[in-house]
Amino acid sequence: MVSSMVLRPPEVTVQISGLTKSFGSGATQVAAVRDVSLTIYRGEVVLIMGPSGSGKTTLLSMLGALLKPSAGEIRLNGSLISSLSEKRLPEIRLRQFGFIFQDFNLLGALTALENVAIVAELAGARPAAARRKAAALLSGLGLGERLNFLPEKLSGGEKQRVAIARALINEPALILADEPTANLDSKIGHEIMRLLRSIATEQGRSVVIVSHDQRIQDIADRVLWLEDGQFKEMLTMAVDPVCGMSVERERSAQAAWGGVEYYFCARGCRDEFLGNPASFLPSAAPNPARRSS
Amino acid sequence: MTRLAFRNLFQNKARLVISVGGVALALLLILALDAIFAGAERRVTAYIDSSASDIIVAQSGVRNMHMASSSLPDSVRRKVGAVPGVRAVLPIDYVASNVVIGDERNLAYVIGLPEDAAFGGAWQVASGRSLPAEGEAIIDRGIAEKSAIALGDEVEILGKDFQIAGFSEGTSSLVNSVAFISANDFEELRRSYGTFSFLLVQVQRGESASLVVERIHSQVRDVTAQTTPDFAAQERRVIRDMSTDVIAIMNAIGFLIGLAVMALTVYTSALARRREYGMLKALGARNLDLSKTVVMQAFLSVVIGYAFGLGVTLLLALVVPRLGSNLTLEVTTASLMKVGVGSLVIASVAALAPIRQIAGLPPAMVFRGA
Repeated sequence: MVSSMVLRPPEVTVQISGLTKSFGSGATQVAAVRDVSLTIYRGEVVLIMGPSGSGKTTLLSMLGALLKPSAGEIRLNGSLISSLSEKRLPEIRLRQFGFIFQDFNLLGALTALENVAIVAELAGARPAAARRKAAALLSGLGLGERLNFLPEKLSGGEKQRVAIARALINEPALILADEPTANLDSKIGHEIMRLLRSIATEQGRSVVIVSHDQRIQDIADRVLWLEDGQFKEMLTMAVDPVCGMSVERERSAQAAWGGVEYYFCARGCRDEFLGNPASFLPSAAPNPARRSS
Repeated sequence: MTRLAFRNLFQNKARLVISVGGVALALLLILALDAIFAGAERRVTAYIDSSASDIIVAQSGVRNMHMASSSLPDSVRRKVGAVPGVRAVLPIDYVASNVVIGDERNLAYVIGLPEDAAFGGAWQVASGRSLPAEGEAIIDRGIAEKSAIALGDEVEILGKDFQIAGFSEGTSSLVNSVAFISANDFEELRRSYGTFSFLLVQVQRGESASLVVERIHSQVRDVTAQTTPDFAAQERRVIRDMSTDVIAIMNAIGFLIGLAVMALTVYTSALARRREYGMLKALGARNLDLSKTVVMQAFLSVVIGYAFGLGVTLLLALVVPRLGSNLTLEVTTASLMKVGVGSLVIASVAALAPIRQIAGLPPAMVFRGA
């Protein structure tokens, strides 16, 4: 018996090419994103890192049809969305994108269930159906007992799971997450990361994460480094053992300890490290350079 | 989105109280003023309404009592009495004057009544008699209580002292009261011998008052006859015309206060939730969806404020007369309609600024921590 396996090319969810976004004009014009091209595949988790002001948020906003690019194009499942009129964009955002924010952005007056259901209702679902679907999603995320709690009564991790349920309820093709673990402790941050990974793997949704959190690299299929509005190689990146930021080895403050070279975002972090190096290296592992793809 | 509007309104109790309370107070101001004027109008015509007459006959061209003077010769009584369909006639004298008690002067409609009048006197008596004999007066109980006088005490009317023979009920309004003296005293004091002011007419059972009015006009010269309800309506119209400007100004003030409070609270509420509205836009909410939420919130505030304002007005209408006040509040359908429509206008205008503000929110603000 002969078995054959047909290898199909991965399905493209988003394709951006030559994407540029400038603010201001004339002498004060600033290009936040410059000629960026990227392809995101179905079921892929892409992590975009970079220093503050590098254009990550601008890129994420353009990817989510929240901001019009100055030049270039964005295709979602083959359809050009970057040139759509403002009137048509809410529909695209509602059905094709799911957003997850650093500070959760839940509606304080609505319960967990209502926060999720309202997005389905906006997409045209009947209230009862929207609530059923929201309840099922939240229960699936372990919030079955918290459906009728207001956000103020939920922990950070629970709020972020509500936000994830809200992002998923209209079954979008692409999830866009802005610092999804920033306001969470380490354990909950890991849970959220695993959740995002499983959403990509099991549901076939693409996930784009913008973050400074190095831990997310563990679940990402690709890590991209954005600096000065452009993707750069990450071969020479290292992690500041004090603050956890990614830093370029060549440009960073350095210090040697125990025969290993360490890299820091600023002198302050280096001085703090040298004051008590052991406290910053619980695993005694050096800060290695990261790969980029 | 309706649920969101409802929850937004009720989540912050302090904002709810300010928003709804402000609107309620403004609407209460308008409703209560309307009710006070309606009550005053009703009281002003209390004598006419309670005179038990079907028709009132006056000198030609005179259509009401307030600020009017009518004089009819005694022959009119006989002529009107002979008109087919007329059962009884009662001549009364009338002048707007004062009931003077010590240093206190109380504006009053002074009515001169024949001592054997079968109707046209005090219709509700708190104590004493309902018809005055010569040298006697029936005055309003509230006026007497205010001046702490009792039956048998004296009051001055038309420059003469009268002994109080009875206290009437429901004969005072915010601005005046009704006092009854005998027709003889009235003629003596006013030197109006052989004349009277108005003729109260009762028609025979089954007769149409309007038809009898027509007959009086065709058979008796130089008189103006009206059915009693028409005469009362004319009286109210005169009072209303005199107070229209005051009502209009007070209503405008109430309306503007309501609008300002409503606009401010809806605007600040939308401002406080700016980030949430921006987030909803990022998630795909259309401006129309968000505008509906703002409008719904404004309308909910106004509806609750209206209900609260109406409730307090109705409560005042019940309580105020029991406090011994001359005030009576009467909530009319016209007033409810007017304030209702005004409230909707307030809600619509108040929602405009926040709607404009939300429409201009960039959805990308959600990532900027704005």
